[in-house]
Amino acid sequence: MTHYAMVIDLTTCVGCNACMAACSLENQTPVWADHWRTYVHDREVGDTTGVQRRFIPRLCNHCDNPPCMSVCPSGATHKTPEGVVLVEPSLCMGCGACAMACPYDARYPATAKDIQKGKEYYGRLHRNSPSMDKCSFCYHRLQKGGEPACVQTCVGYARIFGDLDQPDSPVTALVRSGKARPLMAHLGTRPNVYYIPEK
Amino acid sequence: MEILTYTTQQHWTTWFAVYLFLGGMGAAVVATSFLTHMYLSEEKELVMWGAISGVIMMVVGSGMLFLHLLNPWAVFYIVSPYGVFHKPDSWIAWGSQFIVWIQITAILYALPYMVEKPRLLNWPIVGPILKLPIVIQIANFAKRIHGFLGWVGIITGIGTAVYTGLLLQSFPAVTLWHNPAVPILFTVSAFSTAMAWLLIIMYIFIYHRVDHTIRALYERIDLGLITAELIIIFSFFNFTLSGSESGYRSADMLWNDNGWLIGFILFGLIVPLLMELKCVFGTWSGKVPIVTASLLVLNGGFQLRAFFMAAGIYAYPW
Amino acid sequence: MAWHYPKLTRRGFMWATGGLAGLGLLKPLSLVREARAKVEEVEQEETVYSICNFCSSLCNIKATVVGKDKERRITKLDGNPNSTLNRGKMCARGQAGVRQVYDVDRIKTPLIRVEGSKRGEGKFRVATWEEAWNYIESKSKSAKIQPWEWTMVGGWTSCVFYMNWAVPFALSNGVPNIIASPMQHCVASGHLGTDSVTGNFNIHDEVLPDFDNANYILFIANNASIGAVSTSRMVRFATGRKRGARVVALDTRLSETAAKADEWIRIRPGTDLDFLIAVMQVMLEKGWYNADYVRNHTNLPFLTHRGDDGQWQLSVDQEGHPLAVDEMTGEIVALPSYSNKNSLDAKGRKIKPMLNAPEGLKVAGKPVLTVLQAQMDEIKDKTPETASHVTGIPATVIRRIAEEFSHAGRPIIDPGWHGARYGNINMLRRTQAMLQTLVGGIDTKGGWIMAAEYRHKIANWHKAKAEGKAMPGPLMTTMAGVPFVGELIKALSNPDTFPHKHPAWSFVFAAQERAAGREGVAVPALADTGFREAVEGKVSLNGQPYLARAILINAANPVRHYYPDSNWKAILSHENMELVVVVDVLPSDTVPYADVVLPNPTYLERDEPTLYGNGVNHDLALVTRFRAIDPLYDTMETPDILLKMSQIISGTDENFHKMLEALSGIPGEATRVAFEKYKSAGVNSPFSRACRDTSFSSTAERIHVPVDKLMSTLKETGIFFEEHREELMHGHSMPRDMAVPTTSGRLEFFGTLFQWLQSMGGRGPSFNVLASTIPAQCRELKSMVDALEENEFYFTYGKTPTVSYGSTNSNNPVIAAINRFKKDIYTGIWIHPDRAKVLNIKTGDLIRLTNIRSGQQANGTAYVTAQLHPDSLFMHSSFGVENKALRLSSGIGTATNKLIPNWVEPMVAGFRSQEFTIRIDKI
Ligand SMILES: Nc1nc2c(c(=O)[nH]1)N[C@H]1C(S)=C(S)[C@@H](COP(=O)(O)OP(=O)(O)OC[C@H]3O[C@@H](n4cnc5c(=O)[nH]c(N)nc54)[C@H](O)[C@@H]3O)O[C@H]1N2
Ligand SMILES: Nc1nc2c(c(=O)[nH]1)N[C@H]1C(S)=C(S)[C@@H](COP(=O)(O)OP(=O)(O)OC[C@H]3O[C@@H](n4cnc5c(=O)[nH]c(N)nc54)[C@H](O)[C@@H]3O)O[C@H]1N2
Ligand code: SF4
Ligand code: SF4
Ligand code: SF4
Ligand code: SF4
Ligand code: SF4
Ligand SMILES: [Mo]
Repeated sequence: MTHYAMVIDLTTCVGCNACMAACSLENQTPVWADHWRTYVHDREVGDTTGVQRRFIPRLCNHCDNPPCMSVCPSGATHKTPEGVVLVEPSLCMGCGACAMACPYDARYPATAKDIQKGKEYYGRLHRNSPSMDKCSFCYHRLQKGGEPACVQTCVGYARIFGDLDQPDSPVTALVRSGKARPLMAHLGTRPNVYYIPEK
Repeated sequence: MEILTYTTQQHWTTWFAVYLFLGGMGAAVVATSFLTHMYLSEEKELVMWGAISGVIMMVVGSGMLFLHLLNPWAVFYIVSPYGVFHKPDSWIAWGSQFIVWIQITAILYALPYMVEKPRLLNWPIVGPILKLPIVIQIANFAKRIHGFLGWVGIITGIGTAVYTGLLLQSFPAVTLWHNPAVPILFTVSAFSTAMAWLLIIMYIFIYHRVDHTIRALYERIDLGLITAELIIIFSFFNFTLSGSESGYRSADMLWNDNGWLIGFILFGLIVPLLMELKCVFGTWSGKVPIVTASLLVLNGGFQLRAFFMAAGIYAYPW
Repeated sequence: MAWHYPKLTRRGFMWATGGLAGLGLLKPLSLVREARAKVEEVEQEETVYSICNFCSSLCNIKATVVGKDKERRITKLDGNPNSTLNRGKMCARGQAGVRQVYDVDRIKTPLIRVEGSKRGEGKFRVATWEEAWNYIESKSKSAKIQPWEWTMVGGWTSCVFYMNWAVPFALSNGVPNIIASPMQHCVASGHLGTDSVTGNFNIHDEVLPDFDNANYILFIANNASIGAVSTSRMVRFATGRKRGARVVALDTRLSETAAKADEWIRIRPGTDLDFLIAVMQVMLEKGWYNADYVRNHTNLPFLTHRGDDGQWQLSVDQEGHPLAVDEMTGEIVALPSYSNKNSLDAKGRKIKPMLNAPEGLKVAGKPVLTVLQAQMDEIKDKTPETASHVTGIPATVIRRIAEEFSHAGRPIIDPGWHGARYGNINMLRRTQAMLQTLVGGIDTKGGWIMAAEYRHKIANWHKAKAEGKAMPGPLMTTMAGVPFVGELIKALSNPDTFPHKHPAWSFVFAAQERAAGREGVAVPALADTGFREAVEGKVSLNGQPYLARAILINAANPVRHYYPDSNWKAILSHENMELVVVVDVLPSDTVPYADVVLPNPTYLERDEPTLYGNGVNHDLALVTRFRAIDPLYDTMETPDILLKMSQIISGTDENFHKMLEALSGIPGEATRVAFEKYKSAGVNSPFSRACRDTSFSSTAERIHVPVDKLMSTLKETGIFFEEHREELMHGHSMPRDMAVPTTSGRLEFFGTLFQWLQSMGGRGPSFNVLASTIPAQCRELKSMVDALEENEFYFTYGKTPTVSYGSTNSNNPVIAAINRFKKDIYTGIWIHPDRAKVLNIKTGDLIRLTNIRSGQQANGTAYVTAQLHPDSLFMHSSFGVENKALRLSSGIGTATNKLIPNWVEPMVAGFRSQEFTIRIDKI
């Protein structure tokens, strides 16, 4: 079996946003409306004596127990056998329940206007109906044997992608050792995006 | 990763509170009027006006949702009965079925009375439709299965009311929503507002002396429901005060808000409770006090949902 | 990890979709997917390789193109996975690059300024190329513009990709004036410091530190050059960090790079030199250096004495050989004048030069010291304690850093990149090179490693010299290092280069300044110093006014990039300025000042006219651009523009062709034939195309590879690898195996380059042959430690990860959207909360910034953050676009060049762009 997962190494993410740019172009997201499938936050923590600057990339966690999927009335949100949670635009009515259910704020609306604008903007658009949208782990690239666009371009090797069912996959050891940990595991979402914290 | 951002959502805003309010109340109105009709009184007017007003509420409510869909055409996938087979784990799928079937049932149940109602038959559009032979036939058929329809209405009605709460309950990121009390709270509130609405109907539109016992019963039930609601709300207060930062922030937001404290708790629950108490056990009589109390309950019902939507705090780990 | 409920759902879902599909109630997902797969099958994807154009990191990229013919569209860019330079990665600017091609604000046709409108108003009419050329030609005739009255301005892209055309263009047409946009900001002052030690100098950097293998990394005022982002460096840095390298960053603020450091040293602005001199003082005093290495490969053991003027001189014998003391014999021995090592004397005998000469040693009656002793003496009182006072960093920290750095095993102090800010930047970068030399980390694994192309050129140069030739081949394509710049400077500064006897006005102006008793810049090569004076008629040569009256600006944006903006606005608007021609792809802030605007195709629409080396890569490789799509608009490539301009300026392109052959090795005749062929075939930019053909053939010949093979390899992989790092370094490590191109061939602590600069008129502490501190002069009569006024701040700036320079790519919709997402951080003026509180300033408040030295003013929005030194304020240098034709970025943020005055340092006219203080007022 295949069980895709991403590990984000916060120790080498420099907040450069290359992943945001790569993702938006690969997946034709409505940047004009300030919607992205992935964000990299730039946060200040600590006070004036011990200030730190943290960069935190985020995206859909492709939860094994995805609340976004169980609420979805239309079945537009579904999970592939490899564990990737996808939205099928033509089935999605855009009720937004999934966005409300997602504890990781991973979803955004792609409106009819965005579709219109997207056609002008990208020349040709991979989709033609409005829907909720979110990170797809670049499933179309995975199917062709590639890696997600954000992973491919990450200048800090901060995004590591692989198959948890393969012992020699770069993510497996990181996850098994507990070095990489999921976000808000207590919610029971069983995320497939893990983070290596900064020291 | 101790950095956390606490924020509210922008997907489902006030319009959604309208949907929850009207949907829940409309369904409860239908269910209540059916129950009343089936077991307490042969009163046709009540069940007819209950069904019609309930359906209107649900139509307006669902219309709110429909208007906010990104892709309204796809709604087809969930209103068809196939939806629940397809997604049995989705409360929205169930809720959509409930809300569709309760509306159909309500119309069918009321149809035999409607086709006999001269006032309706004179209305434009509605009148000619009611006079169509096929409609008459359906009305006759409905009459034959009235009991069955009644139970379908009651079940789907309760289902709809519960669903408005289950919906919020299925969003795990928000402590205020993600707990078993929400469906109960919303159901109680739905029936309380339904009582209030039916009281208004019975005091203003179809004031029949003989209905006095029903009115009194409704008043009593409403008293109970409001009391229950207050208890649930205060246990919510306790529940959210500790255990999670998300919950605490919701509590912080609500209980420091005059809209919530005065607009909802005071004028949406306590004042109507006291007024109804005074009506039921005390000295007040006549329409004005009870209608006023009912209006306050209705307003409270909406406030509750609006505040609940607004105060759902997400804790994002960045 | 089984989780039952969703599984159940999935099964239920499959059953339902399958079972009920026939009812037509629902489009089953599988059908949708199949339909989609079909669409994708039809859309054939094609991969085209190219080179990024958004910074001089020169990443190798691949473009994905779909569709056919006119419908072809670039859908995505990625790093070229075959590239060992950027390792398949790309930064946000590079990723977003595809949107430059489709930027709706592009310049789509030639434009001519509307008659009666003024320069700067930006009123243009659409024109044909024919009309544009006619305009230029008739203007240069009617105004009788002489060749020396022309000035060329080029940005880094014109420099990297078309230098082989631009320099021959200038020299063949008698144009002595070239301003290279990156020089004063970036390359000249800082690099000169590094290069005085290593002799390096390549146009866009020559060192790529081997972060991969380092175990200690020290950054000095680095950010965009590493983590924000130069991809080739960042990927190596990340790898090194993951391998466990300890990272220390000196920065005045918590930059992206500093955020990734184990230790951020929040240094007071302008005082890094004090810090590093103290580090050097400790290392020299404690003997924490690689003694064998410095003994053998540097001029530290050379003997030196004070000359009659009190200046340090190298002691030499009659033949000019440097001297040293042999430890084995105790005798004074002569060393070879030019060599990579000191282990043999001039006669070839084995020696061991002493690093410390015996006390009281005299040569020719004068007391002598080794360079090491002189250097130690120079900085003996520059201790960590003294530095602590200036820098605000505890002495214990400075000592600890000195110890960590010198004991790490494989330490790197990054050479640094942006080369302006303070008059002491040259000494700072020089000190960094010295520290790296002290640990023996030059051109070694885990240390600095020379770019392959550069190493290769130096090796060939040595070979040619051994064969008795002055140069291994044409100047532009085969020379490198300080000798290369030397040739260029000679050509531009020498009145005899051209028959009209005009050297560059910058040199004339500098001499004029010195004659008037003012500080003239020693080597104002490729700089804008004196330009305004030349335009205003204030420069004279041999009693005649030397006027600058026409300008050709290609891929440069001086109005936004030079300091201050008003200076260049005045230059371009001046009545003496007869003709302003601007070549660009987007309406930069300079474009409105043009008389004629000539549109270039964007980089993804170009087949470049030649092959290029692989930037700073350690591996030797050739790359080029393949056009991903045909030009969308009526554009022309640079070589064709220069060809046409030659015809206009000189009446013929004869000399241009000759000079191209002589300097750049582009075969004249063959190119001309190909040119005629393509021209008559109606090919767009036929000259460029012709040059590509002949460049490919001559390169194939040079590297002994069939031209088809060269072409097909590049086409299929984007890279033609010649040699890998290990093979290249083997026997050619500098200076372990091969002399560096300094005067002595050794790494030079005693800076002979500065003696030369002194001979060009340089005076002052910057020209010191030894390293020492030079205080930044942010305020008249006050030191950096004197208290600032309550509302007074040191000014600092740096680049944004998403924007190139202050450039037009801020108009890229993807970049603009990221910049919105990070609005406060990117476009705000950073102020420390302790200072902001006193001034009652909060994030988002509108503030006025006033340069206390110059009076310049600009407005900005405050961003209150603890991530910087309280004495300083910080802003990104990427914003403040004025031209409204850049619809997404104009009006956003504050422009640095509204605040930075025109004040340059005296060596090479680098901008002292932070040497002042700013007053803040809330508005
Ligand atoms: N405000 C500000 N000024 C700066 C800097 C800064 O950060 N901020 N950085 C300084 C530094 S370090 C450097 S190296 C210099 C760099 O300065 P430049 O070398 O001038 O840099 P660019 O912005 O890349 O190029 C300038 C112009 O080239 C145009 N251009 C882009 N692609 C093409 C093309 O394919 N053909 C043509 N003809 N034109 C093209 C752009 O639209 C832009 O107007 O700037 C210096 N000045
Ligand atoms: N995003 C982006 N990256 C680029 C480029 C680009 O245009 N955009 N251009 C490329 C080019 S041509 C260049 S020249 C390089 C430039 O790359 P760098 O030389 O790294 O230039 P900056 O990022 O401008 O400045 C580096 C840091 O110096 C800090 N600083 C300012 N004053 C002082 C001081 O007095 N002391 C210390 N210790 N720190 C100080 C700033 O806070 C900033 O974080 O970047 C290259 N990479
Ligand atoms: S590309 Fe990588 S390093 Fe850059 S922001 Fe994204 S995750 Fe971080
Ligand atoms: S918005 Fe679409 S994907 Fe999300 S729950 Fe509604 S139908 Fe499902
Ligand atoms: S992160 Fe959110 S959208 Fe993604 S699978 Fe989990 S719940 Fe669904
Ligand atoms: S995996 Fe693909 S869709 Fe998801 S954030 Fe990365 S690039 Fe975007
Ligand atoms: S570092 Fe970024 S902008 Fe510079 S060449 Fe590489 S991809 Fe392009
Ligand atoms: Mo630069």
